[in-house]
Amino acid sequence: MSLAMRPSRQTDYSLFPSDCPIVIDNGAFNCRVGWAGETDPRFTFRNVIQKPKHKATGESVSIIGDLDPGLMKYFDYTRAPLRSPFDSNVVYQFETMEYILDYAFERIGVEGPKVDHPILITECVCNPVHSRSKMAELLFETYGIPSVAYGVDAAFSYKHNQKLGICDNDGLVVCSGFTTSHVIPILHGEPVFEASCRTNIGGYHVTDYMKQLLSLQYPYHVSSFAWEKVEHLKMEHCYIALDYASESQLFQKGAKETDEKVRYWQLPYRPPPVEEEPSEEELARKAAIKEKQGQRLREMAAAKRSSRITEFENELQGLEFLLQQLENVEDHEIPFFLSETGYVSKQEIESAVARVTQSLRKAKGEPVEVEEKTESPSSEKYPLINIPDHMLTPEQLKQKKRQIFIKTTSEGKLRAKQKKQEEELERERQNQQDEEKRLENPELYLEQLRAKQRELAQRVEQRKKLKTNGTRGNGTPVLSGNVGRGERLNAAQKERMRLLTTAAFDRGKGEDTFGIKDEDWQLYKLMSRDNDDNDEGPNEDEAELARVTAKLQEIDPTFVTLVEPSPPATGNGSETPHFRPLTAEDYRITLGIERFRCPEILFQPHIVGIDQAGLDEMVGISMRRLKPELLSHGENLCNSVLLTGGNCLFPGINERILTGIQKIRPFGSSIRVCRASDPLLDAWHGASMIAASPSFSEQVFSRQDYMEKGEEWLRKYQIRYTI
Amino acid sequence: MEPEVLDADILLPPVLPFKRVQMSDKYPKGANRGRQWKHLKHILQAENYQNYPPDEPNYVNIEAPPSIYPAKKFCDITGFETHYTDPKTKLRYVNTDVFKRIRYLPNDYVQRYLSIRNAAVVLK
Repeated sequence: MSLAMRPSRQTDYSLFPSDCPIVIDNGAFNCRVGWAGETDPRFTFRNVIQKPKHKATGESVSIIGDLDPGLMKYFDYTRAPLRSPFDSNVVYQFETMEYILDYAFERIGVEGPKVDHPILITECVCNPVHSRSKMAELLFETYGIPSVAYGVDAAFSYKHNQKLGICDNDGLVVCSGFTTSHVIPILHGEPVFEASCRTNIGGYHVTDYMKQLLSLQYPYHVSSFAWEKVEHLKMEHCYIALDYASESQLFQKGAKETDEKVRYWQLPYRPPPVEEEPSEEELARKAAIKEKQGQRLREMAAAKRSSRITEFENELQGLEFLLQQLENVEDHEIPFFLSETGYVSKQEIESAVARVTQSLRKAKGEPVEVEEKTESPSSEKYPLINIPDHMLTPEQLKQKKRQIFIKTTSEGKLRAKQKKQEEELERERQNQQDEEKRLENPELYLEQLRAKQRELAQRVEQRKKLKTNGTRGNGTPVLSGNVGRGERLNAAQKERMRLLTTAAFDRGKGEDTFGIKDEDWQLYKLMSRDNDDNDEGPNEDEAELARVTAKLQEIDPTFVTLVEPSPPATGNGSETPHFRPLTAEDYRITLGIERFRCPEILFQPHIVGIDQAGLDEMVGISMRRLKPELLSHGENLCNSVLLTGGNCLFPGINERILTGIQKIRPFGSSIRVCRASDPLLDAWHGASMIAASPSFSEQVFSRQDYMEKGEEWLRKYQIRYTI
Repeated sequence: MEPEVLDADILLPPVLPFKRVQMSDKYPKGANRGRQWKHLKHILQAENYQNYPPDEPNYVNIEAPPSIYPAKKFCDITGFETHYTDPKTKLRYVNTDVFKRIRYLPNDYVQRYLSIRNAAVVLK
């Protein structure tokens, strides 16, 4: 509701004499307030209250009626739901009701210490006495009103339309409101409540049903289906089908007529930015930049290399100079001579020279001579290994350990190298054999190869399937990951579940011996999710498959590799939801059958699980409840059926109710169905008319009555609707 | 308070001169008041309608009885009339396409569809 529709405080309160009643149509959806005798209510607001916190000050405030979206940013609405004083169509929360009445009286501009006007307030049919007396208590005690009168909205609406000449003195009123729908017979201008009939279905249910359907159908847009928005959609697009079955069949067949009946609601949609194909220039520019960068890197590398080469050369020169000098030095003076240089012996210097020369060569890009060091016998290289421990000092022991380590690793390396060579030889030999076979009989060979490839591929595929999921019992596709409804586990999964459960429940039973034996820890390995793929088997197969496939590709031009075996038709497709950019289409809400499917619940409440008769059937029920002696003059109530209440705004409701009544009435009887002049406001209009009548003052329940007569009187209280 | 909020004039003043008892006196803040209201169900129980003549109208006995017509079955997804019910999800469906769709539906969606017509499994 926009800002403009919020009622402003009325300023002409003092102009009304104190015997002029205030008329309040207290509906479950809207509350309408105005002065008796006026043609329209002063203001209408939604009958709800919210108590959000003001964000800046932190104080909680009371806001009645609809929200103003523009002002929502100032308030904190968490823990502040919309509260209505109504449970179904009965007022039950009088604290909330007090806020509503506060607002009503404040807006109408009440001045002075009390509300000094009689009140006419509407209530539901057969309002429980508890609710009625609480309302009287509230009005008398808190607001100090002189008197109150209660009336039923549907009857007021009928009276107003009777005055307008739309309906007769005898008739039926069908009133379908926000939470309930009523049918009340009117006889000699007075409602007959003992023959009335109520079904607990109304506009709220229609909106709610629509909201549920839409949010189930468009899970991506749930946030777009706020209650108020759906209410708006309902009012704008819904209609009532004359015959639900035939209307829905049109849609089921996809008939042409439906095209113009379908409505679309386009949600705001912004297409994702389209990536433009880069132009020639752009590409050239990028290539140039890349080239430039490459050039720079190459230059940098070259510079680095040259600097390294000079570094090595210098080092080499220094070392050679040192060696030359050493020639001239006596043997026993060597240590003294070398003490400054950091080297210990001549051999060390020589090895350093060798090392540097090698690095220099490497840096210059010359081939490094692979010095297969003459395999010195291990006893020479590792002198300490064969000496027993007790003969060594701790220092030597340490060295011995290191030597053992080095020896084993180098031996391991050697062995690996040998194995590799052998494998290569083996492969070559196999290739040769294959080649021979191929030359012998190319056709046969090819055939064999193909068969082998197929078999291998199958085996690998099988294994993969087993690994990813177990048996697909009923072919129901399941979203990947967890096991879906009714899905069977395969043997490995079952075993895993069993282990997990036993592990979970065994603890705490008696003494805990877990972990004493080493085998216990195997449990965790078994439990882990991926234990069921034993590594060697599939790998061998896969390697073989790759080899055979490569060979086939090489020699057979017609061979096509089935790299991705087509997924089985049982619907594996759902496992990988293929990504598709959302389009405007996805942001379009289609209202097809929903347009009449949602209001249909008024006629078939069982659709939403309410086991009561629908609107058309209720007319028949009411007629049957009417005692025949009351209809002494042969009044034909069906000759004046008035539709009122918000739901009667749906197009097509007249015709539908007419056909409904035709079904239950004798053939050829005259039936007239008419809609109220204003289904929403006529209840207030009628109430205003009656409150303005001179006899109204005799109808009221005064303050004195309230003090003296008490509840029992209130139970019997009923306003007279005839003026 | 922001000027916009004050201009909009949407707040209900906490003290109103025409009231005999102010809201804050009636429902003092911070006091544990408990629940001071009854649900409709309890209101109706307290009315003791059984003590009054049955032909006198009251809130309970004016209620409409169930429909005398057999309830038609409609597809839960599309709204078309149908006779088929999926034994697994208990959803009603109209044709094979819809059947496939309901088999794809996650369980909470199935339950939501069922709860619309008050047929969902309620765990208590």
